[in-house]
Amino acid sequence: MTAIAIECQGCLEFDFEHYEKGKRLQSLRKHLPGSWHKLLLSLTLLISGLGLLLWPVRTLRSDNFVFYFPTSRRVIPLEVIDSVQYLPLLPVLNLVGTLNALTERRNNLKVAFGDSHIELHDGDPRVRLDKKTLILAAPVRVSNGKWMVPGDFLTTVLARLTNQDVEYQIGTNRVFIGNIKPSSFTLRMEQESNGAKLTFQFTDKVTVHTESVNGQWVMFLGDHPIQPLEQSFHFQNPYVSEVRFDDQDGLPKLVITPSAGGLNFYPELSEGGKTLRAEVSKPAPAQPSPQTAKAPPPATPSSTASTAPPVTPGSAPGTAAPAGPAGPASPAGPPLPVVALDAGHGGEDNGARSRDGVLEKELVAQLVERVRQALLTTGKFRIVMTRTGDANVTFEQRAVAANVAGAAYFLTFHAGDLGGGSPEVAIYTYQSPGLASPSSEGRANPFFVAWDRIQENHIDQSRQLAQTIERDLAVLAGVTLDPPTTAPERTLRSVNAPAVAIEIGSLSPDVDAGPLTDAAFQLHLSSIVAEALSALQAGGA
Amino acid sequence: MSRRAKIFWIALLVVFAGGLFYLRSLARRVFFEPPPHSDESAKARLSEAVLQSGAGPNEIAVLFFPSLSGRALVAESRPIKWAPSAADRVRQVLLALAEGPSQRLGHPLAAATTVRAVFLTLDGTAYVDLSSDLVSGIYPGIEAESLAVYSIVNSITTNITAVKRVKILIQGQEVDTLEGHADLTEAIVPDPTLLKGNP
Repeated sequence: MTAIAIECQGCLEFDFEHYEKGKRLQSLRKHLPGSWHKLLLSLTLLISGLGLLLWPVRTLRSDNFVFYFPTSRRVIPLEVIDSVQYLPLLPVLNLVGTLNALTERRNNLKVAFGDSHIELHDGDPRVRLDKKTLILAAPVRVSNGKWMVPGDFLTTVLARLTNQDVEYQIGTNRVFIGNIKPSSFTLRMEQESNGAKLTFQFTDKVTVHTESVNGQWVMFLGDHPIQPLEQSFHFQNPYVSEVRFDDQDGLPKLVITPSAGGLNFYPELSEGGKTLRAEVSKPAPAQPSPQTAKAPPPATPSSTASTAPPVTPGSAPGTAAPAGPAGPASPAGPPLPVVALDAGHGGEDNGARSRDGVLEKELVAQLVERVRQALLTTGKFRIVMTRTGDANVTFEQRAVAANVAGAAYFLTFHAGDLGGGSPEVAIYTYQSPGLASPSSEGRANPFFVAWDRIQENHIDQSRQLAQTIERDLAVLAGVTLDPPTTAPERTLRSVNAPAVAIEIGSLSPDVDAGPLTDAAFQLHLSSIVAEALSALQAGGA
Repeated sequence: MSRRAKIFWIALLVVFAGGLFYLRSLARRVFFEPPPHSDESAKARLSEAVLQSGAGPNEIAVLFFPSLSGRALVAESRPIKWAPSAADRVRQVLLALAEGPSQRLGHPLAAATTVRAVFLTLDGTAYVDLSSDLVSGIYPGIEAESLAVYSIVNSITTNITAVKRVKILIQGQEVDTLEGHADLTEAIVPDPTLLKGNP
C-alpha cells in the first residue's frame, strides 16, 4: 500500500491512501477553512438570488379554455399562473366583438371595444371600464408579451361589455356566452361479478360515439354543450379507475380509464338519449372464435348511433399507423379500406398565420381530427394519421405512412390565402411540375414509375375523388367553393393512392381566422368529406 | 507558490485562452469569411448592370402576375430593352417581376429578392437561383405558392423562347417547396391554363 499525501499551505488538504485491490478505500478527509465556507455560502446566496430575480413568471401549466356561443364554440389557450387561471385578453375580446383601437404603454393598456373603453395596468387587479372601476380576483399580468386577465374577468367585465348572459364557474375551463342552456349529468357505478356498470344520466339528449385512444375509452357526446357537476370521478375497483369529462378541444367527451388492460367496454344509449349505460367486463374465457355471441351489434353507420361497438383499450383504430381493426369489434370479412389523413405542416413549420394569430398547423390538425371522427363514425374505414401532435414530418414520411398502410384514399388538409371570402374551400389534385398536362401527355408508365412520382399513376382516380367531394360540399351553406383544380402540391407527389389536397381559407395575415375555427363549419365539412368517401366506396370506386 | 497565487495564475490562463480563442474566431470572420451581405449586394449590382446593359429599341415584355381573386395569372405588358444574352434576359424578367405589377395584382417575388445566378442548359432548362427573400412576399398556401411559381415560369418561358422549363433554386440550394406547398423538386414547365381567359 502506498501512502500519498499532498500538502498545501493552510488551505485545502487532501489526505488519502492509494487504492489497492482487495483493500478498503479510506474515506476522503477534507478540511475547509472558515473563509472558504463563507465564500461558498455567499456565492450560493448570490446565484440563488440572481436565479430568483431572473426567473420568469411561474406558469404552472397551460390548458385550453372553451367559449360556448349559441351557434359555435371557440378554444383559446389559458395559462395557470400562481394557481390562478389567466386568459389572453385580446383573443378573448376578439371572440366576442371587434377591437376599435389599442394603446399599449409600458405598464398600461387601453382598449376601445365597441362603445366602451377598457384600461388595465400590469400587476393591478383594478380594471377601468368607461368610468367605472371594477376589481378582479387577481391582478392583471403580462406574460410573454401577452396581456392576461384572470378568469373572473369573464363575469366581472365581459358580461358588462357584451350585455349578454355569461355563465362561468371559477376554476372550470369553459364559459357559456349568450342564450345557452348547457346540459349536465350524474354518474352511478355498480360493481358486478365480472365487471362494472356505469350509468350516466344526462339532463338533455346526447349522442355517443366511442373510440379507444391510448388505453382509454373515449365517448364523444355530440355537439350539445355540457357543464359537468364534477369534472372527474375516481374509483378503486379492478375495472374502472377514473371517469373524466373533457372538452378541451371543444368536443364534449367522457374519458374512461380502465384499472387493467384487456377489458371489454360496451356502451349503450337508452331512454331517448338521456341515459348512457356502459359495461366494463373481463373478456369471456377462450372461445373458438373471437366473434362470440356476447358481442353487441356492430356500430351503426351514423353519427347519431345509439349503440357503439365494444372497444378494447390499447387498440386505437384512429391513431395507430397501419393498425388492424379493434379487437372484439372486428367485423368478419375483408379488412376495411384505409383512409390516410394528413394535417399539413407541423413542428417548426407553422404554415400560414391569420391576423388573430391562428396557425395553419394547429387549425388543420383540429380539422383532421374531426374528419377522423366523422370517418370512424361511418364504420366503413380505418384511419391512418400521417401526423399526430405537433411533429415535423417530412413529405416522404407522410407518403410512406399512407403507402405502407395501403391507403385507399389520401386527404391532405391545408389552410391558406385563397383570395376570396371566408370560409372558402378549394380542392386540388396533383399537377406534376415537369408535365404540361398530366392528364393527357404525361400519363406515367404503370410498370416503371419512379416511386417519388407515383401519384401520376392515380391522376384520374384523384380527380374523381376531388369531384365527388366537391359535389357533396356544394350543399355547405355560406361557404365559397372553388371547382377542383390542379396544383403542384408536394405532399401528394409520392402518394400511391387517389389523393387530394383540401385547402380552407382564407388564412392570411390580412384576415381573422374566425370563420375557419368555427366548430360548426369544421363539423359540417368533416361529415361531408366522410359522406363523400362513403359514397365513393359504395360505388366501388 | 501559495495556493491563492496558483488559483490566480490558473484564472489568468483561462482568461488568456478565452481571449485567444475569441481573437482566432474574429480573425477568421474578418479575413476568411466574406460578410453575409456582400455576396447579395454584388449580385444586386450585377442585376442593376444587366438592366442598364439593354441596347436597341424598347420591346414589349409580357409578365404574368397572380390575380388577387386567386386561381389565375393576369398578363401585364411593359417596355423593356432586352439584353443580348438569354441568361441576362431571364434576369431582366425576374427583376421586372420583383418590381411588382402596375395594376392591383399579387407579387410573385418580394421586392427585396436578389437574383443570385441564372444558368441556361442546352435542353432549354433555366436554372434561376433566387435569394430566400423571395418567400417573404408570398402568403403561404397551395394556391398562393402555385401562382407565384407559375408567374415566374410562365413569364420567363413566354419572353425567352429558348427556355422551355425553369428550375428554381433558393440560396443556391435545391429545395422541396417554397413554403411547404409548391413542388420545386424538378424543373417546371409553364402552365398556360392559368392565364386569365383560358379555359
